[in-house]
Amino acid sequence: MTARRPDAGASGVPPGPGIHLMVPMLHRRDAVGEHTRSLRGLLLAAGVPSTIYTELPDPDTVDETRPYRDYEGDAVPGDVLVYQVATRSDMTRWLARRPEPVVLNYHSITPAPFFARWNNGIARMQEAAVRELAELAPRCVLGIGVSEFDVAELRAAGCPATRVVPVVNVALPPVPPDPDAAAVLARRAAAGGPWWLSVGRLAPNKAHQDTIAALFVARASTAPDAHLTIVGGPTEPHYAAALRRFAADLGLSGAVEFTTQLSPGELAARYRAADVLVMLSEHEGFGVPLVEAMAQGLPIVAYDAGAVAEVVGDAGVLLERKGPRTVADAVADLLGDPARREALVAAGRARPGALGLDHAGADLVQALREVAAGARPGAARPAQGTPVRPGTPTTH
Amino acid sequence: MTDDASGSGEPADQGTGEPADGERELLEAFERLAPQGTVRWGFDDAMRRLSSPDDRGTWVEPWHGLPADLWDRGRGARAGERVLGDVITALAQELTEYAQRIVDDVRRTVPVDTAVFDALRFLSARVERLEAAGDPLGIRPADLALPVPDVSTWADAVGPWLGEPADRPVVVGELGDRSIVDAVAAAGGDVDAVDPRAALAWTVRDAPAGRPGQVRVSVADVVEHLGRLPVAGRSGVVLSGCVDRVPLDGKVDLVSGAARALASGGVLVLLVTDQGAWDAALEPTVRDLLPGRPLHPETWSEVLPRFGLVDPEVHLDGNGQVHAVVARRSR
Repeated sequence: MTARRPDAGASGVPPGPGIHLMVPMLHRRDAVGEHTRSLRGLLLAAGVPSTIYTELPDPDTVDETRPYRDYEGDAVPGDVLVYQVATRSDMTRWLARRPEPVVLNYHSITPAPFFARWNNGIARMQEAAVRELAELAPRCVLGIGVSEFDVAELRAAGCPATRVVPVVNVALPPVPPDPDAAAVLARRAAAGGPWWLSVGRLAPNKAHQDTIAALFVARASTAPDAHLTIVGGPTEPHYAAALRRFAADLGLSGAVEFTTQLSPGELAARYRAADVLVMLSEHEGFGVPLVEAMAQGLPIVAYDAGAVAEVVGDAGVLLERKGPRTVADAVADLLGDPARREALVAAGRARPGALGLDHAGADLVQALREVAAGARPGAARPAQGTPVRPGTPTTH
Repeated sequence: MTDDASGSGEPADQGTGEPADGERELLEAFERLAPQGTVRWGFDDAMRRLSSPDDRGTWVEPWHGLPADLWDRGRGARAGERVLGDVITALAQELTEYAQRIVDDVRRTVPVDTAVFDALRFLSARVERLEAAGDPLGIRPADLALPVPDVSTWADAVGPWLGEPADRPVVVGELGDRSIVDAVAAAGGDVDAVDPRAALAWTVRDAPAGRPGQVRVSVADVVEHLGRLPVAGRSGVVLSGCVDRVPLDGKVDLVSGAARALASGGVLVLLVTDQGAWDAALEPTVRDLLPGRPLHPETWSEVLPRFGLVDPEVHLDGNGQVHAVVARRSR
């Protein structure tokens, strides 16, 4: 017996053509997973039927999803399918054969070379993902990226129309109260020296080793009591193990804390306790931690790669190089200059608004509804190469 | 705003975008932790290619049988290698018969996936590696909590043993409390300092200037470093730490590497931990799991002449902690 579509009757949404979300797997506390869940919530709130279909079930979210092959029995004329692109999936070829309009919601594919030294299986998967994107992109009606950096990749893959809509699931203040916050702050106070924070999956493109090396140099020179908290789950186990070993080899076991699986409140406590967010990632499609840090009043020292400059603007210290001493000196300079620090924090608090994050969800739903309006039987499809929504970026 | 760190006081970094000396070695210390290039990585790669029909890579056509190097695998005397040889032979026969059947049936050549050969190749290498390691638990000394020998007792003596500073540097590996490096450099000798621990190398590099001798610091395993040096390119070699913890074959590699690197008449100094002090300092589990143990100084004096290191002298530490063995490269 086929399970009932989760959107059927949900939130009082009437049955009918919907905007359905396709994702290889739906994970909790994962950027793509939380984005997908948030988007579905926004669509349902807007009265649009929406179901999440996956290639593989995740036990934590299986009640929220259906196998994508079941969509063939669920399809309603006028549906739009939104594919969450971040890795390879058998869904790609299936989507390419579907008659419904397909929107690519792009979350950046980490280039394979980052993984090659660590896990050739993942590297090959990333290469396959790029090939699949190139196959599907020319057939989509719209490609949505979270940054101009990502949209450029969509264009290069052959998307006929693109636009930028920032991420919709950033936890902006006020965040839920956190019972752990007092303990975090107490630990930070006991440590004495400056507290660095780095947030991001333990994946090679995040280059956490550069942050650890910079901390080592800082402790050997300007800040003997500096500490670092790295928040992020292990995407690649060899890399994650190497980070811990690297910290131990440098004598930093007591100075570097690895943590993951934090609630929004627990994460917010880390942002509040830290003195600086250090982000030395080498491939970043958006950089949610940058926005979270700015919203929490935490100054940023970051390597200028991918979409980082686009997101941070003038509200952080951007480095063109990231040798350990360069980073250590940049952090020391920032923390030693209260006026500059305050200026950056003030600029940072304004960035989420400037990026349009407060209406990103509404923008995304609106963009998808416009695609859906064009997809209804008898409606004229948007011409390829013209904006889906006048006045918005970006088409070619 | 963008910082180019032009005022950060790191001259080697300016204008190139490259990390300065020392910084680069810190980062390379991390890169060495990546599995690429290991037999394990290669084997996993081959197995993934075998299990992924879309990603098998290249093909060999026509079928000419197993590559010659695979026939040569598994012919050693050790038990594991004999088993491996049997497995490879059986697989090779199976592959050969399979290919021949197809050729007979369709009367054409068939491609053979090179992933099969790679899997066999890396399987062989893995077994051989395990056999050679002689360490069934795969314990890495670096993973165990080992005492750092206090070699400072001999810091004043090392200079006279090495003699007047020569035109060739002195290798100091490993760096311990860096007293030996300071002593050699203070005497005016150039030091080729090497240690696998990036943090320790950094502190030695960052030591205050003012030593008459130049100190060049490398982050590397000492035995690998010795192997990269020019033959007879060093006037002295001082080893500590590594000579204690590595197993006997590793000790042999160290001494033969030192003998190779020493110029005629050059001096080798081994600072070896007293066996009783070693046993007392280690937790029982560490002592049990560690593949290596210090040799008695008299044992060293028996071993060194086999490598052309003559006139060995044993200097016992009155406190029973770290002894010294000094020998000279035969002329």
